[in-house]
Amino acid sequence: MSWPNADAMLRAHVMKQRRQLSVNVSLELEQGCSLGLFGASGAGKSTVLACIAGVEEPDGGYVKLGGLQFFPPSLALHKRPVGYLTQEPGLFPNLSVSENVSFGIPKERARDKEQTHWIETLRDRLHLGPLWHAPAAFISGGQARRVGLARMLARKPPLVLLDEPFAGLDRHLVRELIDDLIFWSRTVGFGIIAVDHQAEVLRRLCPRQVIVLEEGAIVQQGTWDELCMAPATPLLRSLLNPF
Amino acid sequence: MIGSRIVNDRRWIARVGATLFALILLYPFTALFARIGPWQWGEDVRGPLLSSVRVSLLLTGCAMIVIVAIGTPVALYIARCRMRERLLWQAVLLVPILLPPLALGILLTLAFGPYGTVGAWLERFGIVMTNSPAAFVSTQVYVGMGYYVLGAVAAFDAVPSILQKQAALLGLTPWKVFLRVTLPLSRLGLAVALSIAWVRAIGEFGAVVVTAYYPSGMPIQLWVNLQSFGLPAVMPLLVVFLAVALPLPWLVHVLAQRRRHA
Repeated sequence: MSWPNADAMLRAHVMKQRRQLSVNVSLELEQGCSLGLFGASGAGKSTVLACIAGVEEPDGGYVKLGGLQFFPPSLALHKRPVGYLTQEPGLFPNLSVSENVSFGIPKERARDKEQTHWIETLRDRLHLGPLWHAPAAFISGGQARRVGLARMLARKPPLVLLDEPFAGLDRHLVRELIDDLIFWSRTVGFGIIAVDHQAEVLRRLCPRQVIVLEEGAIVQQGTWDELCMAPATPLLRSLLNPF
Repeated sequence: MIGSRIVNDRRWIARVGATLFALILLYPFTALFARIGPWQWGEDVRGPLLSSVRVSLLLTGCAMIVIVAIGTPVALYIARCRMRERLLWQAVLLVPILLPPLALGILLTLAFGPYGTVGAWLERFGIVMTNSPAAFVSTQVYVGMGYYVLGAVAAFDAVPSILQKQAALLGLTPWKVFLRVTLPLSRLGLAVALSIAWVRAIGEFGAVVVTAYYPSGMPIQLWVNLQSFGLPAVMPLLVVFLAVALPLPWLVHVLAQRRRHA
């Protein structure tokens, strides 16, 4: 599937006032690269991601993907070429797994050979074959997360936003999903912004670019190695070495 | 062991209580077998009866179409309002629900009758808003709209907003999100809301007796038969009324409950 801004760079400056938190974060992401947002719970990571996706509206700042302006003014959700996956994958309970995965594919493209092959690849790599015709309402949380990932990637969006999608999944599965994501990111060419408070997830998924947030502001950014060598705050140090 | 026996005993007592409650609720229906003499089914009863059934079904059907066509987008709007605005709209919708039906009928006649501004204006186009099909339908719309919209708002509320946002992020326009996500996931709630509006409208007497005595629907005909011929002439119409008004909403409620507990 071709997107108007498939080779685009993301530039965002998100300002959002919450009751007890003032978020003010700038970030940039080149096409096909990955960026991790790391920090304790309540640091504002998910807010930044939600503002980029458009499920929340920033109070100020800007969000641009190449020449496409997401904000301001707020671009309608269906015009944003992004995939957004959260802990709650939001499957449509009245549809089967296969219908969920193909949900965003326009009818004229659904029978396209390349598209069909891509859907089959997702189905096989994410082990969805045995569930393919099952109602989405009756699958487990881990399975739902895999279906959500397949549905998000089915349209090959140029930017993928992951808000702790691996929380509560077993380590083996998480490692497998992350390896798949990295592989597809390189082959398909989508950028990834991932939010997590588990260091090992982001270390694997976004080793080269991490932004650390505390109380809505950036306190450090760099590679994982730089972060581990010299954590900027005591809180970051405790997050990197919890025990 | 002893604990579970106590629980079982209590459950048994509760079941007896619930059965008694149901029997009391259903007790009035035993009147269908009351000894009131042979039911009248002569031409003077049968003709108006069939006519009233036709009027009620046809015009209530029209009212339901109007209610769904106007009420659904209104409910969707209210469901997406902020709480303060939503309370305001809900307060407005409650007005025709809380108003005594007779009072509503009088207000409607004054507002839409020949002496009201709107009524006089409509009469210029040949639309008579008293004792006419238009009066019948508009009264039922006023009577049923609040029930439908409030139920529809609850049905739309029950659809998680994240599903609608996910659908939009998957490239669906707002209209397609409504058709492919919001509507399928709220359809049972909407059906329940519509069935309540249907029962309320088709059984309406107090407001309709003022605004549209003619054409006579079933409730008016029941009243006329009672006044003119007594109970034996009422019973056949009563049976038809129950058969027409109750099964559809009853079925919808049962289906909705089954789906909810599936």
